[in-house]
Amino acid sequence: MKYDFLDPDVLARLGAMPLEARQAMTGNVAGRHRSPHRGSSVEFAEYRKYVQGDDTRRLDWKAYARSDRYYIKEFEADTNLRAYFVLDASASMGFSAADDSRIQFARKLAATLSYLIIDQGDAAGLSVCREKIHLEIPPTRKAAQLNNIFDILAKTEPDGETGLVEALHTIAEKTNQRALIIIMSDLFCETSELADALQHLRYRKHDIAIFHMLDKQELEFDFERPHRFIDMEDQTSLVAEPALIASDYRNAMQQFLNEVKSVCHDVHADYHLITTDQDYEKIIHDFLSTRLPKKGRK
Amino acid sequence: MPITFLQQSLLWGLLAVSIPIVIHLLNRRRFRTIQWAAMDFLLKATRESRGKKKLKYIIILTARALAIAALILAIARPLVGGFLSWGGSQVDTVILILDRSPSMEQAAANGDTSRRMTAIKSVQQSLKTLNNPKLVLIDSASAEAQRVPSPDALDQLSSTAPTDTKAAIPELISTAIDYITDNSLGRCEIWLASDLQKSDWSPDDGRWDAVKAGLVDLPQKTTLRIISMASAITDNVATRVLSANRIDNELALEIEIIKSDSDNSTALPITYNINGNKSSETISFKGQSYKYSKNVALGDTKGEGYGYIDIPTDANPRDNVSFFAYGEKTAAKSYLVTEGGEPTSWLALACAPPGLNNNECEILSAQQTDQIDWANATLIIWQATLPSDSIAAKLNTYLENGGAALILPPRGESEASFLGIQWQDLETSSRGQYFIIDDWNRSDGPLRNGTDGISIPASKLKAIQRRGISGEFTALATWSDDKPFLIRQVVGDGTAIFATSLPDYSWSNLADADVLLPIIQRMIQLGGKRFSSAYSAIAGGSELMLIDGEIRTRIDGHADSKSSNAIYDAGVWKIGDRLVATNRTASEDQWMILDQDDMDALLEGSPYSLFEDQGDSDSLVKEIWKALLIAMLIFLITEALLCLQPKGANNKLKT
Repeated sequence: MKYDFLDPDVLARLGAMPLEARQAMTGNVAGRHRSPHRGSSVEFAEYRKYVQGDDTRRLDWKAYARSDRYYIKEFEADTNLRAYFVLDASASMGFSAADDSRIQFARKLAATLSYLIIDQGDAAGLSVCREKIHLEIPPTRKAAQLNNIFDILAKTEPDGETGLVEALHTIAEKTNQRALIIIMSDLFCETSELADALQHLRYRKHDIAIFHMLDKQELEFDFERPHRFIDMEDQTSLVAEPALIASDYRNAMQQFLNEVKSVCHDVHADYHLITTDQDYEKIIHDFLSTRLPKKGRK
Repeated sequence: MPITFLQQSLLWGLLAVSIPIVIHLLNRRRFRTIQWAAMDFLLKATRESRGKKKLKYIIILTARALAIAALILAIARPLVGGFLSWGGSQVDTVILILDRSPSMEQAAANGDTSRRMTAIKSVQQSLKTLNNPKLVLIDSASAEAQRVPSPDALDQLSSTAPTDTKAAIPELISTAIDYITDNSLGRCEIWLASDLQKSDWSPDDGRWDAVKAGLVDLPQKTTLRIISMASAITDNVATRVLSANRIDNELALEIEIIKSDSDNSTALPITYNINGNKSSETISFKGQSYKYSKNVALGDTKGEGYGYIDIPTDANPRDNVSFFAYGEKTAAKSYLVTEGGEPTSWLALACAPPGLNNNECEILSAQQTDQIDWANATLIIWQATLPSDSIAAKLNTYLENGGAALILPPRGESEASFLGIQWQDLETSSRGQYFIIDDWNRSDGPLRNGTDGISIPASKLKAIQRRGISGEFTALATWSDDKPFLIRQVVGDGTAIFATSLPDYSWSNLADADVLLPIIQRMIQLGGKRFSSAYSAIAGGSELMLIDGEIRTRIDGHADSKSSNAIYDAGVWKIGDRLVATNRTASEDQWMILDQDDMDALLEGSPYSLFEDQGDSDSLVKEIWKALLIAMLIFLITEALLCLQPKGANNKLKT
């Protein structure tokens, strides 16, 4: 295959699983997702009184026969889903201790999910962000969109400082219709600023899913000898004795994770902390599974 | 506490202390470089770890360095004890000067053994610790140097056994210096084990300057290390027979008891053993010193005799016994050299009262002095112009040999002097007034109180004439105007007494016998001691040397003596035909000791150190490598504990 982040077997296995929106979407074509508007699906929504101007074809004559009143029978509208993949392309996404780098892992997730989304007739778009650069492919449902997304993903290399917060604000402003915003990032930015950006998205009624991508080494900090750590974003360096600081490092990381979880919880985001040594197929499978409607709902 | 090392060269290994630090620094330099994304957490962790954890890491590093230091120090075999100064452990030969005087038999500070044995044991242990350097012993009794093959034998040698001899410390150090000079000994030290008794050290001895110079001038630096056994003397009583004279069928003993403690009163059982017959009594006295006389009936025994007095064992058993021997009482022969006149008869009468011991008094003029039998004279009374030339020399020799002389003023003027004393002008009291004795020595001299405590009525003496006296002297009695009546000059073993008035009615009432008789009789007694002294000697003295054909046998029955130490032991000896009782010197019962200042004054400028044995250890030096290994272990355990991650430090993140 042309792209090393795509695995046909994985695509085949996951192809049967739909990506459901957790809230009503406002697509521009009919689709498989709930819409906040009434439409022409077979799903009965409600009766309402006839008012002048209503299409008489939608009068429920049986109800008129029973009650001698004019009622309009309304049905749910089904629409398509618009998904935005927001890919953090800052230098820190290039980190890799042993397995795939974060950016490569993100490519796999984004490519696979975008394939599934377009395959089920929904729209997918991509936003690649880093400091001062914000590359955006608006979501469409065309099959050709996949090539665009894959090309961008393949060409995207991590560099510079993060621009995630600015990118989220931009997306929140520019995207009028409700959408599924899938964020793939290490979230190494100010948590308070991240919280503001997510609140902004939430305010615009977007469904937020976050893949918080970290390396196992970053979580465990399991080094034995002194290391010189070079910041991947600003190249500053620090020589440290891991044995001396491991405990405090883990405490700081734990605090960060707790804050991020709290922020995500506040905005009802679909938060997934993942490490790059995990099986991305399983991650996607779990992601899709958890989004399926609960029993009793469509 | 000074520390020395048996293997000082190994101390270079202390440089290895830097190994953990060097490894640490190298490790810090040989870090692995890694690109890192979560830098903020790293910076935060580093900031938080800066204080407590950095200190912890420094402690770990210190513990490692100290563990290595402890190991190196242990291997270098450190010694403590304060006896050896830096470098003192590097010694090839030790010259041990051992004080064997009776005072060294005092119980040591630890109370188990004598000071002498404690010193020997300490030296033995110390020499073992120092890998048995060559040992040369100079004991205080023989003052001769002898090689000792092994320190183990030190306490078995007869030359380290107790004696009753004096320890002439300056002489012993001089012997050691001579030995070092005459022999090639390598790195050498002189160890001197002594109780610092002042009489043994003789701080006024002129030889100390030579000793100091000798120590400084030795070809290689030789340290004199003084092992002081001078703990406070307690619970000790010493006894001594001052004189033993036969008077007809009685033995007159003059006895002195000296106590170390100043208790108010003491009841001391004392045993008299005279010619094998024992008798006991309990003496009660107050104060630290007590003198008394004891007359013991001799029954029908004739001729010579001997014995000893003994008190119960105390802190120093060596000074609990005193031996004596006596011979037949011989009549005192006095010579009265006089200008004639009234004093002659009174003086002659006081010398030989009728019926008293058949004493004799031969009256001579100044021109007849060649008739004096100096060897057998008990007392010389000189009432004439002071002797000069050959007569003065003979009188001087007589005095030096233990004789006694009473010198009275001449009637005429003279500028002659004798023993630095010169008669001055005749002094006459004012009309109707007298020169009266105002003050006299009641404890010493011919006007001392009697043994029953009754004083001589010297105040009854009245004089209208007296002669002035000049020179350096000790006044034993003075007139009310502080001018001397009686003065004393000690010459060798003898004594000369000068009196400034005459037993003449135109001079004084000295002839009334209240004063004159006791003075003269006590002078006779004093002069007679040199005859009885033929029966007594100081242990180690030349009197005990054998003349060809003589055999020395101890006959007192109090204890036995090894033949090699016989000359140094107190006891009663039959040497050929002679009967001699030997005792320790009187100075051994004077328990004054030198202090650090005295020592500094004596040995100032010479390489010496003073170590006071507190009796808390068998050895003067002690190896502490075991303690250092334990310390190393503690450091390593500390390091290990600190290296262990605290509980919870390795906990996984809650994701």
